[in-house]
Amino acid sequence: MASAKKQTPLFDWHKANGGNIVEFGDYLMPVWYASARNEHLAVVCQAGLFDTSHMATIRVFGADAFDLLQWCFTRNLTACVGKDNAPLIDGKCVYGLFLDEHGHAIDDSLVYKIKDGEYMVEVNASMGGTVATHLAEQAKGRDVQVIDLTDQLGKIDIQGPASIKIMAKVLKNPEAVFDKLPYFSMKGHFDPASTLAGQVQLLDGTPLLLSRSGYTGEVGFELFVERIHTVKVWEAIMAAGQEFGLTPCGLAARDSLRAGAVLPLSHQDIGHWPCIHNPWPFALPFAPGGDAFTKTFLGSAALETTTDPSYTLTFVGHDLRKVDAHGARVFLKGEEIGTVLTCVTDMAIGRHEGRIYSIASPDKPAELAIKGLCCGFIKVKSQLQPGTAVEIKDGKRAIQVVIETDVRPDRTARKALKLFL
Amino acid sequence: MYPADCKYTKNHEFVKPLGDGTALVGITNYAQEALGDVVFVQLPEVGAAFAAGDEFGTVESVKTVSECYLPTAGEVVEINGDLEAHPEFVNEDAYTKGWMLKIKLTGDLNPELLDAAAYEAHVASEAH
Repeated sequence: MASAKKQTPLFDWHKANGGNIVEFGDYLMPVWYASARNEHLAVVCQAGLFDTSHMATIRVFGADAFDLLQWCFTRNLTACVGKDNAPLIDGKCVYGLFLDEHGHAIDDSLVYKIKDGEYMVEVNASMGGTVATHLAEQAKGRDVQVIDLTDQLGKIDIQGPASIKIMAKVLKNPEAVFDKLPYFSMKGHFDPASTLAGQVQLLDGTPLLLSRSGYTGEVGFELFVERIHTVKVWEAIMAAGQEFGLTPCGLAARDSLRAGAVLPLSHQDIGHWPCIHNPWPFALPFAPGGDAFTKTFLGSAALETTTDPSYTLTFVGHDLRKVDAHGARVFLKGEEIGTVLTCVTDMAIGRHEGRIYSIASPDKPAELAIKGLCCGFIKVKSQLQPGTAVEIKDGKRAIQVVIETDVRPDRTARKALKLFL
Repeated sequence: MYPADCKYTKNHEFVKPLGDGTALVGITNYAQEALGDVVFVQLPEVGAAFAAGDEFGTVESVKTVSECYLPTAGEVVEINGDLEAHPEFVNEDAYTKGWMLKIKLTGDLNPELLDAAAYEAHVASEAH
């Protein structure tokens, strides 16, 4: 039977350039090209290019768009930007969650404010329909429209310290684009009819929505384009990036990079359980002190009264060996205490005298050979302090790991763009 | 891609008889491509003896941890020590610098092993 899986506009490029294609949700996507390890290292040291066109974009607009998102999305849109908890204003985006009434995660998301009454919601592959339907149901009685743009856009992420120099070669007026573009902000628009479309253009005039974000922990951009322009934009960036070591990257590198950046994979690290007591408290609208929420939202009542005792925690191993997370269990002093959610190897880190260094750490000891460390998330039945040693075990092997608060140090995502020019 | 002087298992190991009662053992080019980057190879001690089909070690790639099974009965006389520092040798050339074990053959070669043509046909059938 022929595969019913979907292809992104870059499928033929991936095939022609050695991409190992796997089924991922509804899509056929490259898991790696020549080497997932080298792709991971390229993003930490130079730059990597990801086809993320399988992700879904939803347009939410109308007089009550703010009210709908303020009810459904976990961030308080009046107080979520930067250290000062400023409101989400035009040109900013924020990471958070859509929860159901039980406080379980439907999906995680970036919500962009384009302008008053106009928001863009970015969710995971195959989730456009689910989240759009959910928002439309919650919208009843409100003056708001929800349009699922799944498969109508191309999306390309360029990530890593060389991203800025590479994009400077392909953009019109890069100085203006990069000026006042902090982490979690955006400029431009993919729709040529938008008044923002002139802000960010390729040299040939193709309009882009450029977002200073990504899911690797490294500095870079997410680019949204009309679907017909996807291959052209990708090829222009690949050509410009050659001199900087730009490497096309598959899903495996994306998975190991996000784990090293302590970011969850939706439906694996967050999912059908109360979305609380995890490494991502910033995704919820906690008041200072972390005991109460600053707003009422869909799922908040369930989270406030949950009796689920489980805690999701970050761990890092002592070498690169991992276990198969599927069905793997966690033991503390011989007692089984939970399950493994994610277990991958961050190839860019190593331990030395009790401390974790990145291959990009400026103070990395000369004698430390970086070979990678296994890392990920566990869900256990009680809180464990950082430094606690636990054992994770699949059907074949058991490895010792340590509870940590962070994984790959010296990540670049939040650094000033001018440092990379 | 599948050297004629090797015999193969359906599980994608090869054995290369050296003509002096010993043979090299490793995983095939098809196996290393399917695994992706090999990041760790766990091998047995010299002196260990195995029957055909016994697990002799594991290969860890970015994707998974896979067991390796000895294609034919033998006793380990040497392991490829280079793989500890350079597991990527398995990716770079699985049959030469990526070999894993040298074994002293016990009895005749396992009669169930495939020759290169039969193994190639097996790989083609698995790919569909």
